Amino acid sequence: MSAASERLRQLLFLVPYVSRHPGRSVDEVAAALGVGRVELLEALEFLPLVGRPPFEPDDFVDVYVEDDKVFVELDQRLHAPPRLTAAEGVALASAARLLGASASEALTSALEKLERVLPPSAREAFRQADRRLDVEGSALAGLPAVSMAIAERREVRFDYYAAGRGQTERRQVQPAELFGHQGQWYLSGFDVARGAERLYRVDRMGPLEVTDARFEPRPESAPARVPDRGLEPVTVVFSAARAPFVRERFGEARSLPDGRLEVTVPGDNARWLTGWVLSFGGDAQVVAPAWAVRSVGEAARASLG
Amino acid sequence: MDRTERLLDLVALLLSEKHPVSWARLRELFKDDYGTGTPEACERKFERDKVELLELGVPLRFEKARGDVEGGYALDKDAYYLPEPGLSPDELAVLYAAGAAALASGAFPGAGDLAHALRKVAFHSERLPALPRVRFQAVGPVDTASLADRLDVLWGAVRARRRVTLEYFSPRSGEVTARAVDPYGLALRRGAWAFAGHCHLRGGVRTFLVHRVRRLEVLNPKAKPPDFEVPADFRLGDVIPRWPWEHRFHAPVDVDVALAPDLEPMAPQLFGVAPVKTSTGASVTVRASDLDALVTTVLSLAPAAKVTGPAEAVARAQALARRVLEAHGGAP
Repeated sequence: MSAASERLRQLLFLVPYVSRHPGRSVDEVAAALGVGRVELLEALEFLPLVGRPPFEPDDFVDVYVEDDKVFVELDQRLHAPPRLTAAEGVALASAARLLGASASEALTSALEKLERVLPPSAREAFRQADRRLDVEGSALAGLPAVSMAIAERREVRFDYYAAGRGQTERRQVQPAELFGHQGQWYLSGFDVARGAERLYRVDRMGPLEVTDARFEPRPESAPARVPDRGLEPVTVVFSAARAPFVRERFGEARSLPDGRLEVTVPGDNARWLTGWVLSFGGDAQVVAPAWAVRSVGEAARASLG
Repeated sequence: MDRTERLLDLVALLLSEKHPVSWARLRELFKDDYGTGTPEACERKFERDKVELLELGVPLRFEKARGDVEGGYALDKDAYYLPEPGLSPDELAVLYAAGAAALASGAFPGAGDLAHALRKVAFHSERLPALPRVRFQAVGPVDTASLADRLDVLWGAVRARRRVTLEYFSPRSGEVTARAVDPYGLALRRGAWAFAGHCHLRGGVRTFLVHRVRRLEVLNPKAKPPDFEVPADFRLGDVIPRWPWEHRFHAPVDVDVALAPDLEPMAPQLFGVAPVKTSTGASVTVRASDLDALVTTVLSLAPAAKVTGPAEAVARAQALARRVLEAHGGAP
């Protein structure tokens, strides 16, 4: 879409928005429109030029800012934005599926309602395009419930399978953030029993129980990343055959003279490490430190038992 | 007159008119825009405006003369105004969470459309839902901005059915090949964006990872009819598998995997199939056409998951576990 179309699309939303929510501050309106303050003020200066022929004084959009608040006196019947276009509908439906719409009652019903507010003429285009974008392959059943628990600041309980130990453990967690990284969804949060921040792989969580216990968000700690708590790093060498594929996923990898590839990963979590190394079926070799080499060897031996 | 101004004026005019507005009257009302120059040029200008408005969801159409009413252009008000979608607070909250996660990834097909869609669904709400912290990073060695650009071009080409030319890097061969592809659809798999379509170099349907595309262009961006039709029986899910072991490297094998009791509830999200209870826990039967991909997944869950059949799958699992053991100082 051209910049001019994008501007028109914004203006067709802006007039109705101010008409529906009069007296909101310039910053609030800018945020609602997804633009900066300066850009919004420019749009507000432009709008009084807009009107309908024959352009008598009352035929123009009358929008003004008073005490940093935005009002509209005459909206020229622009009191609601246009309905969703097929492309907007597909984008929203796909985002919903990214979070696992099919497993969530709220998302499924939201999508049904969404389809009803598309103009009839756009419904076929919506269905056609919707079949051409598939994000559900990355979704997991637990994602909508986890994200709602984060928004509502409710503690959650679940069984967690920690690789290497071979059994699940019950956890009660104050969920902080859900994030997709390297093709996996992770939940970071404060483990109540352990009194510490922890990271969980969502596909290794059993059914989620959202409790009534509310919590206050903790002071912002460093953004959670896949295991990194500053412990001794682990060096892993990948076979030459696997090297080009691994290079795609790791920004900082070193090529060895024989074509193999050396990668350093954080070494804070032996259980995560062993499962990860095993998943390469011998194409990944931990070379240091000694505890990590031993830990992977033991896990491989256990799998043969 | 500024084009944006003219288009907004046109919308404001048609929203206030009860009856269709004839072309002759439009030319009179917008004298500087549609009333000067050759009639053909004026019509072309109006047609372009009409197309743009239609793309933005403005249902502008021509109505024939009826009785005393002159034929002309009209805007169907019911089809124009966004009605209250009737979303419950929960529904709106979860839609917002999903949309925010997709936008936060920085590279999502139709991200601009998504931002507008979110605004519109919340238009009637007094307060926006609290946003959970959800984010998502797409996999790949390219920066988010170039991934976003490629997704934009590809998604536009998919929707308009436009052929693209591209240079594609294969990590297996280390080579870059130039190809023309009719893109049929986009899919997100394990954090990586992929697309499938008819590859003119290979003469068949192929799948590509967006982050391996080196150069990308739409072949004929302005051509009128679409460049191709998507075969009626084409399904994205058939060619871009959901699970890594569904890549077609060999004839499918049904592999039995025993699970410790604790893993039973997670079976659907780990393997995509429902578990069957056994005396020692549970088991799943997984159809694999890339045995190694399944076996290594099971291995990563050891010792709570184990391949138990058929014999070739068990042998492969043991061979891979021995390789890992040998590489880590243990005698097999």
